[in-house]
Amino acid sequence: MGAPTLTSEVDLRTALGPLVLATPVMPASGCFGPELATIVPVGSLGAVVTKTIFSARRSGNRPHRLTETAAGVLNSIGIPSPGVATFRSEVLPRYRAIGVPVVVSIGGLRVEEYWQITEELHDEAVDAFEVNVSCPNLERGGLTIGANPDQVGEVVAGVRARTDRPVLVKLTPNVTSVVEAARVAESVGATALTVANTFLGLAVDLRARRPVLGNAMGGLSGPAVKPLALRLVWEASRAVSVPVIGCGGISSATDAVEFLLAGASAVQVGTATFARPDTMAEMVEELPAALGLAGASSVHEVVGQLQVGNDCLADDTLGVPGASDGAGGGRGARCHPTFRKLPTCEAGVP
Amino acid sequence: MTAGGAPTVPDLPPDPTETGALPLDDGQASATWAGSGDAGPADGSLVMLDAPATGARPSLTRAAVVSNDHLGDRYWRMRLLAPDIARHTQPGQFVMLTVTPSGPSNWVLPRPMAVADRDEMQETIDVVYGAHGWGTRQMAAIGARDELTVVGPLGNGFRLEPTTRHLMVVGRGIGLCSLSLLAVAASQRGAAVSAVLSARHREANVLVPFFEAVPDSRVVTALDSDGSSDPQVLGPELRILLEETPAQQIATCGSRRLLRMCSALAEATGATLQVAVEAHMACGMGYCHGCSAWVQGVDQEGPLVCRDGPVFAWLPAGR
Repeated sequence: MGAPTLTSEVDLRTALGPLVLATPVMPASGCFGPELATIVPVGSLGAVVTKTIFSARRSGNRPHRLTETAAGVLNSIGIPSPGVATFRSEVLPRYRAIGVPVVVSIGGLRVEEYWQITEELHDEAVDAFEVNVSCPNLERGGLTIGANPDQVGEVVAGVRARTDRPVLVKLTPNVTSVVEAARVAESVGATALTVANTFLGLAVDLRARRPVLGNAMGGLSGPAVKPLALRLVWEASRAVSVPVIGCGGISSATDAVEFLLAGASAVQVGTATFARPDTMAEMVEELPAALGLAGASSVHEVVGQLQVGNDCLADDTLGVPGASDGAGGGRGARCHPTFRKLPTCEAGVP
Repeated sequence: MTAGGAPTVPDLPPDPTETGALPLDDGQASATWAGSGDAGPADGSLVMLDAPATGARPSLTRAAVVSNDHLGDRYWRMRLLAPDIARHTQPGQFVMLTVTPSGPSNWVLPRPMAVADRDEMQETIDVVYGAHGWGTRQMAAIGARDELTVVGPLGNGFRLEPTTRHLMVVGRGIGLCSLSLLAVAASQRGAAVSAVLSARHREANVLVPFFEAVPDSRVVTALDSDGSSDPQVLGPELRILLEETPAQQIATCGSRRLLRMCSALAEATGATLQVAVEAHMACGMGYCHGCSAWVQGVDQEGPLVCRDGPVFAWLPAGR
């Protein structure tokens, strides 16, 4: 480990394809609004991300829309949207006024709706699109588009064909393998992948014998999901060559560096902003010191540098060490001498 | 959700409304109507108040704790040094409050709490809370000189109507915290104030001294312990009071039963009625859309409790 580095020497820049960000910290969609710029510093953010915009105006779900759980928040807001006209005239200018790159999150209830909103925002000053594929597909009985890699490919390919801006794809974690959708999104031209959205869950009001949320199920976020998101970032980033943006339970600069090590090139902060609206600004301030703890003086030198016993893994596995048959001794597994002391390897080593 | 007198179950999951900052709950298993998903109970409906002409912008303050005192029963009062909020808060407005600003907070969500009192000279605000959830028990352990993160003032507060010469406030439990500054404002404007203070029992009615100190006020207490809080008992009593001294305006917070009672009183006496409601909140400013007051329609987002409320006008069904 190197010595901690002076703040002034630390390079916080990061790149999402052609989009270079001054810092790797940005809000998660839906957890930020221009209102915040009036109470906390936002100039140090790498970008801002809008709430997901639909072409048509729509309301959100019935209340309750959120509830606190152990170390987390469960929400089912339902993505209320003012529609594209109001977004262009009233919402987008307020994001632009913040002075950092603006990522516009887009959604749709049908594949074509994603393409439509991309076209409608074609002329606007949008620095990148983030495709929110965690929307129910009304053409497929309300199943989440993101859960079907073919549909992810269809949506993203169509968006890609309609804009020359960077296209980020925000993947859902509610799948068996995030890798599949990640590879498909990359293959049809995604510039970067946001990993991940919230994890489906349920909260119960025992007195009322009802789900707490009006929509019954909701998405879990907050510190509770951080290890889950780290795992997904690690898996996805190893499977694709485009940058990954980590998202899930990040609330401090050290959290951010953990995600960078796991393979993220940037991070999004959501739930943490609710309790402490200046979380992201603080994170940027503390990032040089946190990078120093990892022996680094720039963001790019830690991205994906998580040191694991890769050689212990079966060739066809992207899981944790020992996940393959025989705890490291499975087909295709090779153990580097360095890792022979690891309990997960030992059992399989002659 | 549990502000009104539900049994304390320490190991229930945390509830962002456990502080009952803006409660609307009888302590029974009733959800607020923000939770019912409909436009509200059939005996009336919420109507958005006009936005105030001049609203002070909220600010983020690392507020030092001046004092944190046990008031009685399970209730505590925390006094915070927050000059801007003390200066600008209007009756019925609230703050979002988070413990342990340094390091990861134990609270994932901040707590909405009504500003129960403010002192411009001392630059302080008071919040009153019931220490019965894990979050609020943590709060009760906070000592003077600790710092909290406070965002406020937030929300659309009560309107004191120019024609109001007699104001009746009707509140229960922590809901009274939303009404206290309104009573003060009315009194300062020369209006008479009737304060109807409902609680489980006498020791839990911790804001009685506050309302008694409001000049030209008359305090009516209503308790579960002696049956006087029952709307069937309290309603007729207040009806007589209002016939003797008509009120132009009624304001309520903290109980659905009391709201229904106030709705009938307002309808019978011609008074206007405003109500402060609660909701599960995350951002407190509107950007997360977590606290929808009701669903307006498939293509239109309804008002948000944090931004468009927490105070709404109440229109009795018959009016």
